[in-house]
Amino acid sequence: MAIVSIKNKTKSGSLLVGNSYNIPPAFESISTATGTGSSGTITFSSIPSGYKHLQIRSIATSSSSYGMIRFNSDSSSNYVSHFLYGDGSSASATGLTGLTSLYGPRADNSTYFSVGIVDILDFDSSTKYKTIRVLTGQDANGSGLIMVNSGLWLSTSAITSITINTQSGNWATTAQFALYGIKEL
Amino acid sequence: MPLTYAAIATTTVGAGGTSAITFNSIPADYTDLLLKFSLRSTSTNSTVLLNINNSSSDFTGRDLYGNGSTVTSNNYSANYSGYQSVSTNTTSAFGSGELYIPNYTASTNKSYFVDAVSETNSSTAYSGIHALLWAQTSAITRLDISMFGGNLAQYSTATLYGINKS
Repeated sequence: MAIVSIKNKTKSGSLLVGNSYNIPPAFESISTATGTGSSGTITFSSIPSGYKHLQIRSIATSSSSYGMIRFNSDSSSNYVSHFLYGDGSSASATGLTGLTSLYGPRADNSTYFSVGIVDILDFDSSTKYKTIRVLTGQDANGSGLIMVNSGLWLSTSAITSITINTQSGNWATTAQFALYGIKEL
Repeated sequence: MPLTYAAIATTTVGAGGTSAITFNSIPADYTDLLLKFSLRSTSTNSTVLLNINNSSSDFTGRDLYGNGSTVTSNNYSANYSGYQSVSTNTTSAFGSGELYIPNYTASTNKSYFVDAVSETNSSTAYSGIHALLWAQTSAITRLDISMFGGNLAQYSTATLYGINKS
């Protein structure tokens, strides 16, 4: 049976009647958070399912060296981090086990912003430990680091909340964090 | 609002594993391709392989990677496209990686970029960035991702996205 477009009166064998099919966007903003100047904690809670992957983007100043990532409020020694980094003159690599949180984006200067992108693939898997991949760095007008980091949370629980804590001090009011959800087809 | 980031296909490896994850008949509707993958090999070799249009020829690349204690940079004539977790790594630990191919329909040689990590509950794991060239001019219609010397373990995943400039 031919379908007639109400818009342009064309006939088609498809319900789309000449219109292109719709593909929903795969990259969506879930939530954003800004430092308060009086707290060293950023929290994304009640993370919805319906996404395949998560991504955190940050731009931050603080007196901390890193934003430390913890999932589902798990404060036990279930975290592992690995680092590949350069400081402008040499490159190094390090691995740390038995951590109580993961090393996330840099945030180590109170004047110059650090930038970070954290990918968390298969965040709601019930069969996989959760691996993060971090691209982060900053140039502080004479010092700084560029890094490719990874981290492992030794848990098969789906991630429903993420906290990003300073190692010391508070997040500046200019520190910004954005959580995105990335869908599969 | 223009569609700038679209999911094309996802594969999750089933019980028994598989030799490769294949994305075939990739539509030419986008500007760039983005492949996100979380893999574990059934062997002890952590090297990811990417075939383009069923070809493993005409690839060259260079990388910068660390293993938890030392840093190395190599150049090579092969389709080595990152590192992921292996059979001797902690059970249930998988790697994480991303592969970006700009201008995949162009009639020029294809350059692409990979950042990828393996993970395990040990101080030794691989993190790396990789720049590669596939010196063929065909539009990309097929990608096969696999692990050197082994199969992809169950629960390995790969998701292909199309990126548009507008």
